[in-house]
Amino acid sequence: MATIVDIAVNNSAFSTLVAAVSAANLVDALQSPGPFTVFAPTNDAFAKLPGGTITTLLQNIPQLSRILTYHVAAGRYYKQDLKGQNCLASLEGSPIDLFITEGEFEVNNATVINADISADNGVIHVIDRVILMRPHWFHPIMNNRLVKA
Amino acid sequence: MLSALIWLPVLGALFTGILLPKWAKVSAIATSSIVLFLNLLLLRQFNLGEGGFQLQENLTWLDSIGLNYSLGIDGLSLPLVVLNGLITWLVVCFDREIEERKPLFYVLIFLIHSSFSGAVLSLNTLLFVLFYEVELIPIYLVIAIWGGKQKNYAAIKFLIFTAISGILILAGFLALAWLSGNGGALFDYQALQSVSLPLSTQIILLLLLLGGFAIKAPFVPFHTWLPDTYVESITPVVMMLGGVVAKLGTYGLFRFCVSLFPDAWSLLSPWIALWAGLGILYGAVTAIAQKDIKRMVAYSSIGHMSYILLAAAAGTPLSLVGGIAQMVSHGLILALLFDLVGIIEKKVGTRELDVLNGLLNPLRGFPTISALLILGGMASAGIPGMLGFIAEFLVFQGSFVKFPIPTLLAILGTGLTAVYFVILLNRTCFGKLDNATAYYPKVFRSEQIPALVLTSIIIFLGIQPQWLTAWSETVATQITDRLPSVTIAQTPSPSSFRK
Amino acid sequence: MLTSQLPPSTHPFADIIHRLEQGGSMLPDTEENLMQIIGLYKAYAVPMDFYWRDLLYIAEQVFLDPLPAFKYFLPQEYLDLANHYAGETADLRIWRGYSTAHQELLDFMAKGELKTKIPKLFHHLYHDRINMEFAEECMRAMFWHRNMGGLLEPYMDSEEYKQNADRAIRAYFQGNPIMLGLYRLFPEMFLEQCRQATMYSVLGLFWEVMAPVFFEMSDIYDEGGFKGVPDAMNFLVNGIFAIAGRPIYHRVNIRGEWFDLVPKAKGFTWLYEAAFPYVEAVFYRTSPFRGTKSYNAQAQEVPTDQNDFHYGVLYADKFPVASAGIPPTLLHQDMYHFLPPYLIDYYQKFCRGKDDMLIQLAVSFQRSMYNVTSAVIQAGRAAFLYPLDDPNPRHLLANRAYFEGQLTRFANPKYGMNKAARILAIQSQNYR
Repeated sequence: MATIVDIAVNNSAFSTLVAAVSAANLVDALQSPGPFTVFAPTNDAFAKLPGGTITTLLQNIPQLSRILTYHVAAGRYYKQDLKGQNCLASLEGSPIDLFITEGEFEVNNATVINADISADNGVIHVIDRVILMRPHWFHPIMNNRLVKA
Repeated sequence: MLSALIWLPVLGALFTGILLPKWAKVSAIATSSIVLFLNLLLLRQFNLGEGGFQLQENLTWLDSIGLNYSLGIDGLSLPLVVLNGLITWLVVCFDREIEERKPLFYVLIFLIHSSFSGAVLSLNTLLFVLFYEVELIPIYLVIAIWGGKQKNYAAIKFLIFTAISGILILAGFLALAWLSGNGGALFDYQALQSVSLPLSTQIILLLLLLGGFAIKAPFVPFHTWLPDTYVESITPVVMMLGGVVAKLGTYGLFRFCVSLFPDAWSLLSPWIALWAGLGILYGAVTAIAQKDIKRMVAYSSIGHMSYILLAAAAGTPLSLVGGIAQMVSHGLILALLFDLVGIIEKKVGTRELDVLNGLLNPLRGFPTISALLILGGMASAGIPGMLGFIAEFLVFQGSFVKFPIPTLLAILGTGLTAVYFVILLNRTCFGKLDNATAYYPKVFRSEQIPALVLTSIIIFLGIQPQWLTAWSETVATQITDRLPSVTIAQTPSPSSFRK
Repeated sequence: MLTSQLPPSTHPFADIIHRLEQGGSMLPDTEENLMQIIGLYKAYAVPMDFYWRDLLYIAEQVFLDPLPAFKYFLPQEYLDLANHYAGETADLRIWRGYSTAHQELLDFMAKGELKTKIPKLFHHLYHDRINMEFAEECMRAMFWHRNMGGLLEPYMDSEEYKQNADRAIRAYFQGNPIMLGLYRLFPEMFLEQCRQATMYSVLGLFWEVMAPVFFEMSDIYDEGGFKGVPDAMNFLVNGIFAIAGRPIYHRVNIRGEWFDLVPKAKGFTWLYEAAFPYVEAVFYRTSPFRGTKSYNAQAQEVPTDQNDFHYGVLYADKFPVASAGIPPTLLHQDMYHFLPPYLIDYYQKFCRGKDDMLIQLAVSFQRSMYNVTSAVIQAGRAAFLYPLDDPNPRHLLANRAYFEGQLTRFANPKYGMNKAARILAIQSQNYR
């Protein structure tokens, strides 16, 4: 069977991701036994980012690698396994928020358009946006309700 | 010279009254400048060491009733005449408040100026009353035409009170004239000085005149006309009223009450001193209670007049010099304070203590005006370095030997003065401007000049007081020479009358 | 024009919420507002050019100097330092102009406001210079406030940072027994000074990016490229994304050798480690200025919890400008020197004209910073939430919850924060 990297390389929809992973020197890591759960953004997902974002990231490998490792979690998690949880720890360190119902599977603000693609060393879920670490103030702001004076 | 001081402004008034508004202002400025210049010349011509009246002028007028045109100046009237000239000049040259009927305004101001000068320079008691009464109508008009919301009420109140005071004074002089003249009526002041009346007569005449002048000055409890009048008058008018016209009351006190009835005066002086002390305290306490800054300054004015009463009661040379200095000091400081308060009211639109805030803000506030307000407030409270301290200190020093308790009350009043001025400054000058409402127009240099001029004079005289006190030393000694020394009283003396 | 599928919001700031949902800014979209904010961006960018260069100079060269009397005397080397986001040598050319110090800045530094050629020291002592104290105050705000998020803060407390700092301190004070002895006695103090120097670097790197952004915005406006306030805001949003990945680091030059206190390899980013902390610490919180608040604990005017501080530019009362003890006053004085001519003409027509221009520009500056905050909020929405035209109503509700949560901060009744926030004042053109 193919590793995560092989699947990505063989699918032209992941060419940007593959380029980024190579630039960040994460290829070997993603070839290793793992297992990993990877949320893989398509080329369209990268295209949604405003111009210059990728340029800057490609110039700064540690920073790029941080964004990429955020898309990876340690362990093999299929949609079924993640059903009860509302977050998952990423390799970068920050949590990934999950929203799973019968018809919907979302991570942070991205929708999983193709879930549960098995690989030798893990599983891939295809997402339609690049996900970014949510700052510590994000959830408090989302729950910030008006206090009556 | 003296006649020029009286009649030149009248001529100027006539001339100004018939001109168009824009030329009227030029003519008015010219007239007041000439008068001020004459005042300065007068300062040069006045002989410091010489006692008695100088530069006398005597014209027989209506000799049959005793009304003669006699003028003379001494160390008591000189500072007041110069004060009059200065304040009129400032009011006329730098006023920006009068929009309508400008020529009429200048006419009335000059009439007020002239009648004050006339009253203060006249050596004939009937002439004095004449000028005193003439002053009423221009002041009534100037309040009633250009005043605030309650101008008619204030103008009428002023008129009635001052008219009554005029009647009392006239009655006093008439009685004095018939009682002193052998057969005829004696209105000539210099002759009256050498008349000696029995003590009981003196007391009655003194009380008549004292009543009249106490309404004019005013002294508590005859002061009730003052807050309304001052508050309803526009800034130039209140500068004239508070700075100059009120001095007629204290002038009369020194010139007539103390000098013409020395025995009665020294008999009554302990009660008068106590009255003065209480008056100072009353003025200060009521000022603390005020929520309108112009009213606060008006009550301050009442309090500060009583210092002069205390000085007169004490009757020592030092206290009399202090009293005259206080007259000038009070005039200058009150004019300054009312000017500043008036500018604030004009720019901000309100006089309420609870609303005003943060005016020291350098960009959106009035930094210069507020700074001068702080100086003016402190000058009024008697902070050393300014004229207020000089005058008050002389009064205290001169009165303490005679009447320690009233002097202590007066000193307490000075402390309370600082209290209400600090309240005023704290609320209006310091703090934050209100973001929603603080879009005030700026203060122009020409609006600042009167305040700057007055402040410089106050500070200068505070540091070099001899420039003021030198004029009045001779007359003070002269008056005290006439007062009886300690144990002269034929009736048992009050217990507080002790050396 | 985006139409909302949702019912109207019930938030007190509903109008502003709807405007944000349509892609707008907290600042109303008028021509006057656009002119004001762009003018101030340009006026802010010129001193900012000095600030970032001097901040890096202090972080990298001055470092632990115990008596840094000349830290504001920027050497030519730093004036010539190429901005990474401007000019031909740029990593990402945000500003079409040049990468060395801005010409207006150089002109001002030569002659000052006095426009005379007296020695630089006299200009400096007379405060006729760029007021670097403001930049240091911003640095101090970022340094002092904790709970700012990002990984830099925990890193500065980590063992690795301590080792890096130790190496740098020893190298810096090599041959100086007194200072090394002091270091032996008070290691924590020296470590804290290193952390402060790191914050200098962070702020310098942050503003290195913002200056070309503002210059470019001014150029685009001059060409007529912005149709309204949302356009200007969107430029900022795109800019934020473009530079989000810029590395944040701190290195010190000690006798020609570079020592890394915060290496680039740690992966700290502009967005998480500099931008968000900056907005939180400087726009929202800072610290109460002396003379404006009672520090008396019994008076309870200053919040006990740092998170409740509300003295940043978004809450600032602009009328005490020119009063002592208020650091933003220094910034306004700096900006006053570089106002574009169209703003000077504009200000002469209102309030006291030339006399209170400092306050008028301060109010415009506050508007511009509300616009920047809106850009940060919209960028946050774009990064962590959904597009404004997302078809899924649940996603739109999440966006709305986010906007409402952000604006609720301004409606907090504690300590009078809701009265201090100027968000309602800027909705009216009459607030000057």
